[in-house]
Amino acid sequence: MTSQVVPRLEIRGLTKTFGGVHALSRADLVVMPGEIHGLLGKNGSGKSTLIKILSGFHKPDEGTLHIDGKPVALPIPLGRSEKIGLAFVHQNLGLLPDATVLENLILGDDARSGRWFVNWTAEAERARRLFDQYHIKLDPMAQVADLSPVKRAQLAIVRAADRVSSHSDQASPGVLILDEPTPFLPIEDVRELFSMMRRLRDSGVSIIFVSHDIDEVKEITDRATVLRDGHVIGTFESANTDRRDIVAAIVGRALTQERLVGDVSGPSAPLLTVMGANGGTVRDLSFDVRPGEILGLTGLIGSGYDEVPSLLAGAQKALSGQLRINGEVYDLARLRPSDAIGAGISFIPADRPIKGLALDISLTENAMLPLAVRGEGRFRLDHGKRQQTTAGLIERFVVKANAPQQAASELSGGNQQKLLLAKWLQLGPKLILLDEPTQGIDVGARREIYERLLEACRNGAAVICATSEFEQLEQIAHRVLVFERGRVKAQLRGSEVTKSSIEASCYGETRTHEPADA
Amino acid sequence: MSNLGSLLERYGLVIVWVAVIAIFGFLRPDTFLTWSNFSSIFGSEAVLVIVTLGLIIPLTAGDFDLSIAQTLTFVSMLTAILSARMGVPLGYIIPIVLLAGAAVGLINGAITLYFRIHSLIVTLGVGTFLHGITLWMSDSQTISGVARTLMQYVIIKRIFGIPLSFYYAIVLAAIIWYVLSYTAFGQKLLFTGRGREVGRLAGIAVGRVRMAAFCASGVMGALAGILYTGTTGSANPTSGTTLLLPAFAAAFLGATCIKPGRFNAWGSVIAVYFLVTGINGLSVLGFRTFVHDLFYGGALVVAVMVSQLINGRKERAL
Repeated sequence: MTSQVVPRLEIRGLTKTFGGVHALSRADLVVMPGEIHGLLGKNGSGKSTLIKILSGFHKPDEGTLHIDGKPVALPIPLGRSEKIGLAFVHQNLGLLPDATVLENLILGDDARSGRWFVNWTAEAERARRLFDQYHIKLDPMAQVADLSPVKRAQLAIVRAADRVSSHSDQASPGVLILDEPTPFLPIEDVRELFSMMRRLRDSGVSIIFVSHDIDEVKEITDRATVLRDGHVIGTFESANTDRRDIVAAIVGRALTQERLVGDVSGPSAPLLTVMGANGGTVRDLSFDVRPGEILGLTGLIGSGYDEVPSLLAGAQKALSGQLRINGEVYDLARLRPSDAIGAGISFIPADRPIKGLALDISLTENAMLPLAVRGEGRFRLDHGKRQQTTAGLIERFVVKANAPQQAASELSGGNQQKLLLAKWLQLGPKLILLDEPTQGIDVGARREIYERLLEACRNGAAVICATSEFEQLEQIAHRVLVFERGRVKAQLRGSEVTKSSIEASCYGETRTHEPADA
Repeated sequence: MSNLGSLLERYGLVIVWVAVIAIFGFLRPDTFLTWSNFSSIFGSEAVLVIVTLGLIIPLTAGDFDLSIAQTLTFVSMLTAILSARMGVPLGYIIPIVLLAGAAVGLINGAITLYFRIHSLIVTLGVGTFLHGITLWMSDSQTISGVARTLMQYVIIKRIFGIPLSFYYAIVLAAIIWYVLSYTAFGQKLLFTGRGREVGRLAGIAVGRVRMAAFCASGVMGALAGILYTGTTGSANPTSGTTLLLPAFAAAFLGATCIKPGRFNAWGSVIAVYFLVTGINGLSVLGFRTFVHDLFYGGALVVAVMVSQLINGRKERAL
């Protein structure tokens, strides 16, 4: 690439602040014609802000954008990005599963589907030529729901390429922005996707490939840019750069958090043993937890760590596996939520408004639900006593509420979460399963939630906490399992549990699977 | 919300009802405002009260039972045929037809749950199918000559001048009120309807709860069918059909009072009598039958609008 070539896309000095905080600070990004360019960075590094500016969702404070040497006015009006030569494929792909491949291909394309008449025969012929061009085996008449995940990803990508080439005002092959298309794909399928991306590149299309996976970025991209805390750390030639340097650029130096836990003090016999759990993304998972221990589960998006709590709570169907708690063995494939509750397991799900609390119902009814289901007051609910108990929980868990009769929707998110915790911890569970327990919750409420968990541990319970917030694990986890593609990739204990070592192991090289408790 | 405001909200419908009575009473004191007019309203509309009470059970669990009026018609016809044509004693007929009602609920529930189809569609189909059976069974004829004992215990015997059927409806309302407000099962129904995932994760067998709700509404439909036959002494293969919309109107209107925002038994009773008082008053004034549809249809839409306003205000109060 010589300097005479006009860059396909050139961003200079892009800055965006949200409430005084720099989400993006004087960022530069140059993508050449026919280049696959990686974009790397942690959550909150500014990657998504950059992409949202390109898609017209955010208005930047400062900065310029040139495409094929021509300036483009910012912000880009929503829906205009294809015209200037940008097309996006987001992680959810944006396909309608109940429609055919062809219908999806022309969906929302006004030039094709918005006319009075759609010539389906001609469109199908065009689609076949398009698929042949990139060596994709897709039947235009197939239902998208019947396609394998990789075929869906290919369809979404080829659709984006097609839109740009047929709508761009610039008469250039344009830029495809692929926002994490791979985390949910098996390795063989990633290869298939990559060969398609190479064909697109060879036909002159430029691709920005956003990913968490350094190995994938090294394999498929020509160059890559690393963002951290809103700054561009650097752009490098992918093939010639050492993996460790890339990790260092992504992670930076992490501030250490105060650790709230020391050694596990409970008896050493495990309270819970999981053997060979399979289900969802999770494969062959085995581990155990001691009484008084807080076990963190984490990994990059799509690695499956977040499915473990719901599998162990009977909330999500497992394919196979066993769970032993208190000497009783349960078949995970048949575990129902009521069995798990009976075994002393409490599950605090991440999706609070759907799974945690019924928001238009009163605090009392929400908090007392597990007791009512257990049969307390089966034929005579004592409303006075239920309200008193709820008032007691509200006080003990420091929930800011006016009255036990008010609707749960009237509480703030943090107070809803505390109520949810109270709802389950009042049962005195042996095992507490948490999925993202502090999502969207302020620092104060967070600290109070940690206190409750630590208190339960002191009383001999065990906690399993799935989270993408590494700081949180550094603060409260005795031990952390790091997941990759459904399997445990690494285990960190005691003083190893720091934000930076978790990050390093998340982005670190793939290890072969070893049993978590060897 | 101030106490007065919440009191007004809870008893708003009662106040409107009293106002409606006062207006018609002022306009037609001799025909409308008489005890015999009211006692006949109370007695003859008990069937509608029971259908409405039957509806609110699956509604609370988040399901619709559009087949309930056809269950009523079917059971009414079955009762008449068993009694008038076959001479089966009432002591056998009543358990048989109640089982038939439960079976209809079982079919509704099984199809809805097993095939994961919306209950609206399933019960619409099952109801229409039942209507076909009813017409077939009766050869589309009204069947009369039902054992007089049934009429005795439904419409002829009176307490304070009101037929017994009214008291049956009130007893059923009391039972449903108790179950919804004071039992663990009531809480299970509520969470099955308002937060199905929340309930499932708390250990509620939501499928079984929904099944029970369908069966309960089937049995309520059957009870209404028995009373319907007892009210007229005969069974008509079509007339029960017209009760579906009024029952829905009353169920939704009832959910705006007593316990606003929830389907509730006493609200339903009040809503039924409010609606029939209005219609009775209008017909006393000389309006013809078309006011039924205007009134019931209008009430359904207004009731849903009001409950939407109540919920909307709660959301805005965040």
